[in-house]
Amino acid sequence: MLKALVIGAGTMGSTHSAAYSTMEDVQLVGIVDKNLEKAKELAGKLGTQAFTSYEDAINGLGVIDVVSVCVPTPFHKEYVKKVADCKFDVICEKPLARNLKDAQEIIDYCKEKEVKLFVGHVVRFFPEYKRAKQIVEAGKIGSPAVVNTKRGGSFPSASRDWYADYNSSGGLVLDLMIHDFDYLRWCFGEVERVYAKSAQGRAMAKLDYALVTLRFESGVIAHLEGTWAHQNFVTKFEIAGKDGIVQYDSSKVAPLVKGINQSATGSVGVAVPDSPLKENPYVTELKHFITCIENNEEPIVTPLDAYKAMEIALAAIKSIKLGKVVELRKQEMEVRI
Amino acid sequence: MRIGIISFAHGHAYAYAEALKKITGVELVGIADDNETRGIEASMRYNTSYYPNYEDLLDQDIEAVIITSENAKHHEHVLAAAKKGKHILCEKPIATNKKKAVEMIEACKENNVFLQIAFPVRFSTPIVKAKQIIEDGEIGSIIAIKGTNRGTNPGGWFVEKEKSGGGAVMDHTVHLADIMRWYMGSDVKEVYAEIDNLFSDIAIDDCGIITMEFENNVFATIDCSWSRNKTFPTWGDVTLEIIGTKGTLSVDAFAQKTDVYSVEGAQWDFWGEDMNQDLVEDFVSNVKNEVPPTITGEDGLKAMEVALAGYESAKRKGPVLIG
Repeated sequence: MLKALVIGAGTMGSTHSAAYSTMEDVQLVGIVDKNLEKAKELAGKLGTQAFTSYEDAINGLGVIDVVSVCVPTPFHKEYVKKVADCKFDVICEKPLARNLKDAQEIIDYCKEKEVKLFVGHVVRFFPEYKRAKQIVEAGKIGSPAVVNTKRGGSFPSASRDWYADYNSSGGLVLDLMIHDFDYLRWCFGEVERVYAKSAQGRAMAKLDYALVTLRFESGVIAHLEGTWAHQNFVTKFEIAGKDGIVQYDSSKVAPLVKGINQSATGSVGVAVPDSPLKENPYVTELKHFITCIENNEEPIVTPLDAYKAMEIALAAIKSIKLGKVVELRKQEMEVRI
Repeated sequence: MRIGIISFAHGHAYAYAEALKKITGVELVGIADDNETRGIEASMRYNTSYYPNYEDLLDQDIEAVIITSENAKHHEHVLAAAKKGKHILCEKPIATNKKKAVEMIEACKENNVFLQIAFPVRFSTPIVKAKQIIEDGEIGSIIAIKGTNRGTNPGGWFVEKEKSGGGAVMDHTVHLADIMRWYMGSDVKEVYAEIDNLFSDIAIDDCGIITMEFENNVFATIDCSWSRNKTFPTWGDVTLEIIGTKGTLSVDAFAQKTDVYSVEGAQWDFWGEDMNQDLVEDFVSNVKNEVPPTITGEDGLKAMEVALAGYESAKRKGPVLIG
């Protein structure tokens, strides 16, 4: 039985906590949040303890096996280091850091302290994405050529509106589109160059929208749409190959739609679509990380993968800023993994 | 009104001929085609005369001519028609380079005939309705547009660069570049493109992602790839995702369809309005009423310049300024 602690009681902290509480070989020993009320509310629901700081948690709990770091991106480094100092393994939410220097420092530090580091690039655990990769690898669509992806919905709301603070979150491109950068790199290998445009600085409205084009070393051209300008969360991908096409659109996947009438006389109401699975991809991801800890195995997504996805995202941000193409291999940093 | 058609090289010629046949008061006087078999077949199908030489067709008593030859021949045909005082509906792209396009526009001006470019997408009802919504200010000011005009590799002269001027980028960038210009009344000032030949074994560009910066501070992209394969249920698409300060607009010009599953596989049966019919009717009505063309030679030139800048960008591996 592994003891797990979750730092951060926001959206991702709640997701990690809920996932741990369903696992038979994991005991959720506590939830940490500066906002103790928030931590207590979540801990109460899941039958665990709430703490106001990481230090309080370890003082009270003693040895822990794994700690999930689910705080806003700029605080990742501080918390990962604290956890590594205690020699506990770390699961850090994506993006690993706000800049490559911090990402490198996090990776180096965990290595030095001999703790395992896992980064939550959960898209690799979504069945539709996983299977699309398998279909491509099975040669069903021939050699892949042009890929289109979409991800996003409305502008995220979070504590202290930290997503809106570009310096903290890195905005849409680093925070959200990194999912697709990682997935595409997983499928198609290394990226050669990046060209991107975004809504940043073009309008006063509280929204963001970015269109990023990647050219892979393999020749594949990928075009990514990231949005915090829409109404409902949607993910889409299309991989067009020489002999075929794989297409997915989450808005068209509605195995279950619940419609509740507002009154007995009318049928006006809200229809809520749902796609039930026995296990959500976050649980699959965390179970995988736990198995890697238990069996000392290499995870599907490594710290280097997390670093490389950031490299693409930051190249896109640089391209947006400069209005130029950013060649990836030229700015690549030495990664010591 | 008496109208002729020069060349059935472009498949749209058939749609335009059908359209002419449906308009009362319009007579398809003849078809000129340098491909005799094709020309005779078409003239028989539409019950009209065949002219091996287009000059002979232009010498007939016709008011207007539709030019649906290979892209590289538009220039020759437009100049000849203009000299003989015929109004012109010319298939897109207007030409294969800027010099030719400018000469075509000038020749039409000098001879006092009008030159309309065939961008049928402007007549798609969802595309038109979207323009109305934008103009009514419902989605606020436009920030970005993501477009797709994907299709199937047409083969034939389309994949011979000296006749087409280019592959997918030449063929498919211009439709959406035109729609975006039309929606916003603004021109493209910078283009970046990733272009390659990844789908077909024939050496021609068959895929591309074109990124544009407009003069009004809007950015946009177009996927112009010939990426639809044999088993895809339709030939291709025309879609626009428009991001405004107050909302978004998703446009799919060919979404009005029914799914058909037959022994031929899965197919989409389109039941929306016929944009080719509306394009030809608009042209005929403009000629009849002596009003300026709805889609001008300059519109054709501006759209083609985006495609040409795309090729230049791909060559230079960097963004290219237009103008």
